[in-house]
Amino acid sequence: MTTMSMSRGGMWEVTSRVIVYAAIGAALYGVLLVLQVPIPGTKDVSARPAFALVPFFGYAFGPIVGFFTGLVGNAIGDQISGWGLLTSWNWSIANGLVGLIAGLAPLYVGRMMSGSVMNRAIAGAVAGVVAVVVGFLFVFTDMVLSAYDVNTVLTTEYIPVITGNLISTIILVPILVYAWEPLKDRLGR
Amino acid sequence: MNVAPRYLGRGSWLSSRDPRVLVLTVVFFVFTAIQVWDIRLMFGLLAIALLYYRSAGIPFASVRRNWAFVIFFVSLLVLVNGVIAGGQVPRAVPGDLHVYLHLPLIGTPISAESLLAALAQLLRFIALAAVGFPLAYAIHPADFGATFARLGIPERFAFAIDLTFRFIPSFATDLQTTIDAQRVRGLELESGAGGLLGRMRRQAPILVPTVINAIAGAEDTIDAMDLRAFGTGRRSWLRHLVYDRTDRLVIAFFATLLFAATIAGFTTLSSRVWVPPFMIPG
Repeated sequence: MTTMSMSRGGMWEVTSRVIVYAAIGAALYGVLLVLQVPIPGTKDVSARPAFALVPFFGYAFGPIVGFFTGLVGNAIGDQISGWGLLTSWNWSIANGLVGLIAGLAPLYVGRMMSGSVMNRAIAGAVAGVVAVVVGFLFVFTDMVLSAYDVNTVLTTEYIPVITGNLISTIILVPILVYAWEPLKDRLGR
Repeated sequence: MNVAPRYLGRGSWLSSRDPRVLVLTVVFFVFTAIQVWDIRLMFGLLAIALLYYRSAGIPFASVRRNWAFVIFFVSLLVLVNGVIAGGQVPRAVPGDLHVYLHLPLIGTPISAESLLAALAQLLRFIALAAVGFPLAYAIHPADFGATFARLGIPERFAFAIDLTFRFIPSFATDLQTTIDAQRVRGLELESGAGGLLGRMRRQAPILVPTVINAIAGAEDTIDAMDLRAFGTGRRSWLRHLVYDRTDRLVIAFFATLLFAATIAGFTTLSSRVWVPPFMIPG
């Protein structure tokens, strides 16, 4: 039986493999941000399927890859849209934290990750949900950076963004884990 | 589908600067702008930001949609924060506000101070966008790795940033090929059938092959890096970055602006909302 667990020391190693998967995750996230699914009943809120890559890359390749995918991928998405790489740096960090927390999944869903493929797919979704809910708390820094009050950040930023991203995560992360498992075995990872 | 970074400012005065200047300018300017609430000073910062933007030589026709999006988005945020959600006026005592009216139903007080705070926020966001756009369009995409490495980011991560920008065009091509292939097979991405969940699930035939194909191809890159002994010694960069006198002056200007805004925040009223006399009722 294969497992997705990794040693705690191995989580923080920066090898060529980590560098390449991090770069791939960030580039894919930036590119796939063009896919948007409007949320029915809202005017301007869209779910972004590409967001599922952040928890997936964290979950599959570890916290460093996850953090880089979220941080740099979001910054590149902003860059491509013209907003600028660093203009909303706190949102990029929030995305990075999502990948980082998903990458720490062995610490809080380790038992599920050692089970069947279905268990591992569910563990991916659980890790993604935890990561989204916790990681995006960082956008409350807008209370300092933009002088918003807590209600504004909660109602116009935090809740809409985690709603769309949770939908992407819950649906697409298990699908990606299912697709990745056979490839992982073939690559000997 | 054009998702590759566009180098629209090619040949401009700003694009000929060391790219580190553009990164440092954004950092200094963001921390300057968030400290200022006096709209007279904010208009000054906006003027500086627009002058800086103009020096990037970005053709307006190419970024018209980006500007429209930015202005719509920040106006919405400012409106919600300042009016609907009853945004607080920074460092203002509620009893000292010059209230014009209370909004029906939600009861939010509309005061001279809250209107000017909203205006300051709007100006700030536009100024930040004006300084951010050159970072997006006036740096050659191939220069980001060297730029961040020379700014002190660990070189492995700087290399990853460089690699990210190099992967983007090929992944964009793969994405378009996958979309075309799935459409030929009858996938209807735009169909609303099945509601949100159905629409999300319909993204999987696009997302999964693109992602898995990219991951499978990663082994070639990893092998190539390992064969070249990646990470065993100090890395050199093809692009050699050196500040010239103008670069130093630009950095010094924005660093001074940040220093002045910080000092002024403690010693003057620059970090409070200023109300012109004509807006004070009765």
